[in-house]
Amino acid sequence: MHRRKFLQLAASAAAAGPLLSACGSSSGSSSGSDGPVTLTVSTWSMSTTPEFKALFDAFQKLYPNITIKPVDILAADYSTKVKVMLSGGDSTDIITMKNTTDYGQFAERGQLRDISSLASSGTAPSLQGLSSFKMNDKYYALPYRQDFWALFYNKKLFDAAGKPYPTNMTWDEYATLAESLTTGSGGSKVYGTYHHTWRSVVQAISAAQTGGDLIGGKYEFFTDQYDIALGIQNAGAALDYGTATTQKTGYQAMIETGKTAMLPMGTWLIGTLWADKKSGTTDIDWSMAPMPQRSGASGVTTFGSPTAFSINKKAKNVDAAEKFIDFATGPQGAAIVAGIGIVPALLNDDTRKVYFGLDGMPTDAGFQTAFKPDKVVLEMPVNDKSSQIDTILTAEHTLVMTKQKSIAAGIAEMDSRVQTEVE
Amino acid sequence: MTDLITASPDSPSVLARPRPRRRRSRGWRNALIGWSFILPNLIGFVAITLVPVLAMFALSFASWDGYNPPSWVGLKNFRRLFKDDASMTALWNTLYYAVGYVPLTMLAALGLALLLNRKMRGVAFFRAVAFFPYITSLVAVAIVWNMLFNPQFGPVNQFLGWFGVHGPGWTTSTTWAMPAVIVTSVWRDMGYYMILFLAGLQAIPKELYEAAEVDGTNAWQRFRAVTVPGLRPTSFLVLILLTVQAFKVFDLIYVMTQGGPGDATLVLAQQIYQTGIVDGQYGYASAISVLLFALVLVLTLIQFWFNGRRERK
Repeated sequence: MHRRKFLQLAASAAAAGPLLSACGSSSGSSSGSDGPVTLTVSTWSMSTTPEFKALFDAFQKLYPNITIKPVDILAADYSTKVKVMLSGGDSTDIITMKNTTDYGQFAERGQLRDISSLASSGTAPSLQGLSSFKMNDKYYALPYRQDFWALFYNKKLFDAAGKPYPTNMTWDEYATLAESLTTGSGGSKVYGTYHHTWRSVVQAISAAQTGGDLIGGKYEFFTDQYDIALGIQNAGAALDYGTATTQKTGYQAMIETGKTAMLPMGTWLIGTLWADKKSGTTDIDWSMAPMPQRSGASGVTTFGSPTAFSINKKAKNVDAAEKFIDFATGPQGAAIVAGIGIVPALLNDDTRKVYFGLDGMPTDAGFQTAFKPDKVVLEMPVNDKSSQIDTILTAEHTLVMTKQKSIAAGIAEMDSRVQTEVE
Repeated sequence: MTDLITASPDSPSVLARPRPRRRRSRGWRNALIGWSFILPNLIGFVAITLVPVLAMFALSFASWDGYNPPSWVGLKNFRRLFKDDASMTALWNTLYYAVGYVPLTMLAALGLALLLNRKMRGVAFFRAVAFFPYITSLVAVAIVWNMLFNPQFGPVNQFLGWFGVHGPGWTTSTTWAMPAVIVTSVWRDMGYYMILFLAGLQAIPKELYEAAEVDGTNAWQRFRAVTVPGLRPTSFLVLILLTVQAFKVFDLIYVMTQGGPGDATLVLAQQIYQTGIVDGQYGYASAISVLLFALVLVLTLIQFWFNGRRERK
């Protein structure tokens, strides 16, 4: 009995051996254009991020000899996991850039391949957000989707309050509107708006609209925006920051269950709302307006964050990787991305037509206007210090929003910490 | 396996050899067998604990981004460490956490063990109940306690409200976030140390209690004179385990408060994670790790010294 058990164990260990080593070495053949190639691509939460599968399927149809093997990582762990992978000499061919903060680090350390030639060919020069990826006059990544922030709203709640749908507003008008849309109390309270707990909700929008520098170490320009955000919270027109953090409130749940009338959020929410409505998860009647602006501002300024593909310096299948990036960021890729409700970086009349033509997308003119902001500023500048500064700004943001510190004291602390601690 | 050891010395090839050589080869053989027994553990220890620890000491004197070759910077990381407000805050927070967590967990675990170390109906059930938090997923524990501590709708503040106490913001307040985290960790870990104490209690001979009773002692005197000295080996073990546990706390705080609000619950382990993995400053993160290592080492040595002195008494 014992011996048999031992044998079974040994056999399964022997069987696992080649399996394990196969995982480590991934694909063998290097860049041969004829032989079958396995291209590895890092992705996050593929089941809830439909664009990956859509792009991979279409690409494999076009290049039957290339098989794409996704390296799927939980979205919340993505940034950390990729850092560890690259530091460990991992040879995953394509590294997807979830945000520009990490991109700065990777490019600075020489972990990514220079793809400037791709950036200057075909439709690539017209990609939205391309300039964010320029480092030392070179490009190490090309964006394939470009999300920007807008104001989502629940039409039914506006109708019930007898208010016209929002269009261009100032922040003061927005605050007043949020108060007038707040109804009920306790568990059945419906808030005028919901500000998610991220620091960008206050900080990135004020940097974009005042021209402030998020990595400069001087943050007085946050003051007005904190006044607005805290004013709305104090008036009870937005869920209290402390409650949102302790309950880990999801912004998606807030809008989908009709707990808030408005929600400033990135355009990635469009794809989610569109898909959830299609699948019957929610029946919310929603649309989108431009972000509120500072009084006296001309045009619509918002902030955004592109998502990009880059090639690992240690990639084994460079040819195939370049083909994929060219495809995913080009017109075909953009049409596929737009076809599942996601804003492609190649935003022209063709892709807009695909996007607005989707069954179940809001059809009002306001939605289409909101889709053309005049200026989209990068959420966080590309810099190898961004990550450290982000930590400090986040810490002080929570203190100001939970009223542990006054706005002035919080900003003073941001200034001094960024100036002394960041190295 | 036992066959192998006993059978081989009697095999003819061994007997045929001259005596002194045989003794030496037997010694070698025994050593080899001994080594082969600890080898699996040793390989694991060397590969995933010892080498990284040694690398950490070396890296603490270097600047390294985790990718390009490290460069030697001497004591720069340590000079920065003692000037860096965030790291110093993390150090104080870690000490604060330890000072709250270690004695409270010990008291709670001992109390539970004393309560459940008797013959009564359903004692196994109550022991299981007390142990249950320890085997519950830590993320679930953190999230549920976070909701319990919710300043507006949380049951904790509602309960306090019945006594006319206006509860604080708990995890959203810089003053109360750390106590909230400590309460949660004590609740989670007390069941585990209760088991250790229960084992210790049952190892105390019954005769001692009977003799003490005959001498006319009351319950408190018996606890002082019999239980406490009898439990000393267990208490020592628990104290060391708790201290180490307290200084390397990370997971619970990371899920519950992410070190916030601000840096009110930022602890050393999280600061190491933040500077190393997130910011990519592995040299500086190693320097903080050396500080944490030294801290735990010194505290453990003090405890050993203290225990040794008591034992001699």
